Amino acid sequence: MTVQTVLQTFFLAFFGLAAIWFAVVVFRTSSMVRSALALLFSQTAIGAMFLAMQAEFLGVLQIMMMATEMAIMAIFMVMYMMDPGGLGEMDMTHQKRLSQVAGVVGAVAALVVAFFAGWGPVAGSAPGAFEQTRLLGLEIMERSMLIFETAGVTILTAMIAATATAIAVREVRKRGEGE
Amino acid sequence: MITLVVALAVGAALFGIGLYGALSQTNLVMIMMGVEVMLGGAMVNLVAFWRFLHPEVFSGQMFVLVVMTVMALEMAVGFGIGTSRFRSVGSVEMEEARELKG
Amino acid sequence: MTVAALAILGPLAVAAAILLLRRGAAALAVTGSSLGLLAAGFTLARVAGGARYEATLPGLPEFPLRLVADPLTATLSTVVAVVGALVMLYAVGYMGEEHDKPRFYAGMSFFVAAMQALVLAGDWVLLLGAWELIGLSSYLLIGFWYEREGVASAATRAFLYTRTADLGLYAGIFVLVTQAGTTEISETLQTGGAAALVAGLLLLVAAASKSAQTPLSGWLQDAMAGPTPVSALLHSATLVAAGAILMIRTSPLLPQGVLLVAGLLGGITILVSGLTAVAESDLKRLLAASTSSQYGFMLLAVGAGSPVAAALHLAAHATIKSSLFLGAGIFQHARGSTGFDDLGGVGRDRRLVFYGFVISGLALAGVPPLSGFFSKDAIIAASFDSPYAALFGPLALAGTLLTGAYVARAVRLLWRGEGRSESVSGARWMGAALAALVALAATLGLALGPLASLLASELPEGLLGAALGLLAGLAGLALGWFVPAGRLLGPAREVVGRGFRIGGGFDGLVARPALALGRAADTFDRGIHAVAIAVGQGTMDVALALRITDERGIDGLIAALVRGTRNLGGRARGLQSGLVHKELVLAVVGGAAILVFAAAAALGA
Repeated sequence: MTVQTVLQTFFLAFFGLAAIWFAVVVFRTSSMVRSALALLFSQTAIGAMFLAMQAEFLGVLQIMMMATEMAIMAIFMVMYMMDPGGLGEMDMTHQKRLSQVAGVVGAVAALVVAFFAGWGPVAGSAPGAFEQTRLLGLEIMERSMLIFETAGVTILTAMIAATATAIAVREVRKRGEGE
Repeated sequence: MITLVVALAVGAALFGIGLYGALSQTNLVMIMMGVEVMLGGAMVNLVAFWRFLHPEVFSGQMFVLVVMTVMALEMAVGFGIGTSRFRSVGSVEMEEARELKG
Repeated sequence: MTVAALAILGPLAVAAAILLLRRGAAALAVTGSSLGLLAAGFTLARVAGGARYEATLPGLPEFPLRLVADPLTATLSTVVAVVGALVMLYAVGYMGEEHDKPRFYAGMSFFVAAMQALVLAGDWVLLLGAWELIGLSSYLLIGFWYEREGVASAATRAFLYTRTADLGLYAGIFVLVTQAGTTEISETLQTGGAAALVAGLLLLVAAASKSAQTPLSGWLQDAMAGPTPVSALLHSATLVAAGAILMIRTSPLLPQGVLLVAGLLGGITILVSGLTAVAESDLKRLLAASTSSQYGFMLLAVGAGSPVAAALHLAAHATIKSSLFLGAGIFQHARGSTGFDDLGGVGRDRRLVFYGFVISGLALAGVPPLSGFFSKDAIIAASFDSPYAALFGPLALAGTLLTGAYVARAVRLLWRGEGRSESVSGARWMGAALAALVALAATLGLALGPLASLLASELPEGLLGAALGLLAGLAGLALGWFVPAGRLLGPAREVVGRGFRIGGGFDGLVARPALALGRAADTFDRGIHAVAIAVGQGTMDVALALRITDERGIDGLIAALVRGTRNLGGRARGLQSGLVHKELVLAVVGGAAILVFAAAAALGA
């Protein structure tokens, strides 16, 4: 085991635990703002994990995107939530037992697969950051062009859909009604 | 090897927590947050597979980009719907959303 | 032959014309029958000169209709035509004040046409048809005054009596035709053996009813309810003659057995109806009974083996009886009824008519030199010459006695009493016809000899017979004039008064049992009907029950099916809560299932 590997493992474990802990906080706290912030930190930890796994582009992208998203989410949460401050101490959950079971079963199944599947030889190193980015660009432009184009159209559609859904409904005045 | 397993374990845990959140929360926004967490776990797994099994093939990273895009889109549309619902009903509690009851 | 056929066609055309025009009925009728008379007379002259005519007309397939003019048929045709024409003339006066004259004259003309067709018929089909038609005309004419009480039933009675006995004619013809293979009468008369016996007896039955022989004579008395011209034409000279004509024409066919039966039947009728005539209290009914009796004489003659005598007596009797009826009709118009109680003394009012009546009556009784003497003499002689002289002779003599008795009685009752002077309308027409017929009745005796030779037969003669007959006739006349009817009949009075009803008569022996049988059959039929209905009802009930169970069964099944499906749907509805979290759970579970399958497939592969 090389030093690099050990370091990598350590940081992965550290940031992993952080991500897990913050994810738990998301659902345990009753304050909305805190929930949003916890999610932010969780996603950021995930981004750090990416960086630890030498996927620099992805890591940076993740952190940037999540930061913006969580900020917006925080605003929306305050707008729409019943008790943004969480001072009411209401239990906002349902089918708790079922969900717990589902969560546990899902995690355990994934863990089982992770432990017992034969993953084969582990790759030792990854390309450098610059190289990665260049290769990723080439990948996008050559092999995965179609995917990206589809993704682009999908993004456009989603933008239009979201905008349309969010537009306030105007009262349509029927013809013939009194002026 | 062990690094990979650690990463996968983290991914598994995140997935479980996200699933728990998505199923147990009453609020639309909270449900979406649960989905975010799940997707995050999936992304961790993807990157781990890329880094430790096939670092030379960049379709792994491509996949992650797509997932990120999906996350963003999902949030956008979800908030659009939430806004519309909030405007019509006054809350986004999913317990009250029985209109599609068959 | 066309001339002979005119005897049929003339009156027929006139009948049609009367029905169409409804005017001038009397004139047309007289013209028609005069035409017929000329035609018949002309034919007779020709036939007497040696001509024979035949005509074939299209009829049934293989059975054409034939008309035949030979001595016998020509003679009979002339008799019918003469009486028909004179009675038609008389009817002009008699029916002068009646309404509905077209119906009467049309009926009379139609009858004359049908009678001529019967007389001239050369094949059985035409004869049968004409036989039925004269029965129909009789019904229509008897029932002319149908609004009066008792008339319609009298007409029906006459029709039913004769119609029922016509079965004998049908059966007899059937036997003859099947034996001979053709319907031509002269051919079928060649039949022999058992068929001849059977056919002869059957024909005798039909003849007996048509000619009002015992026991089928009841209808003739009641038929007197019709107008007197009808009685004069139909019920004295022509329709009732049809039976005797049938017997005369088929006499070559008849074996000895049938002749014996015919003679006996005739003889019994002579006695029975003669006694009835003596006891009658109505002039026309007396004359009707006398008619029965005289036709009994004719049947006796046939039975004795001399159809010629019968034919001659038929001719003589036609003129005599119709003139008697015409006289009775004039008396009826004078006094308004025909009962002897009302007619007392009418002879004094109408002397001329009375004298004519007396002359005809004496002719009937057989007083020479009137025609009746010769014909009756022939019959008596024939009866003495026959194989059954011991039976037939006394019967003939007794009949002659009775004839004289009732003739004298009638004359006495018409003379005795006070006269009333009443005018009768149409007396001139009636008187003229009466005079002509009386003259004929008186003088026909001269023609009988030549007629017999024309018919190629000997007229039976016997001095003993003639003497006995004359004696019997005179004795009868004396008895009838001097002795009242009650004393004359003596102990037989009650039986005669009852109409010789024996053992309950027709009513008790025939009618009541038939009706009872009918009722029993009806009950039986109703029973069967009820059973059939019950069976049907039962089947319907079973069908209904089946249907109900079927419906319930199937309906039940289907309803259960529906309920089951609804329940299932209701339960499945539980999944569709519309709640997002529940949907998510379903998605998760589904996704997990898919993953498991995929993993299993991947691992298995």
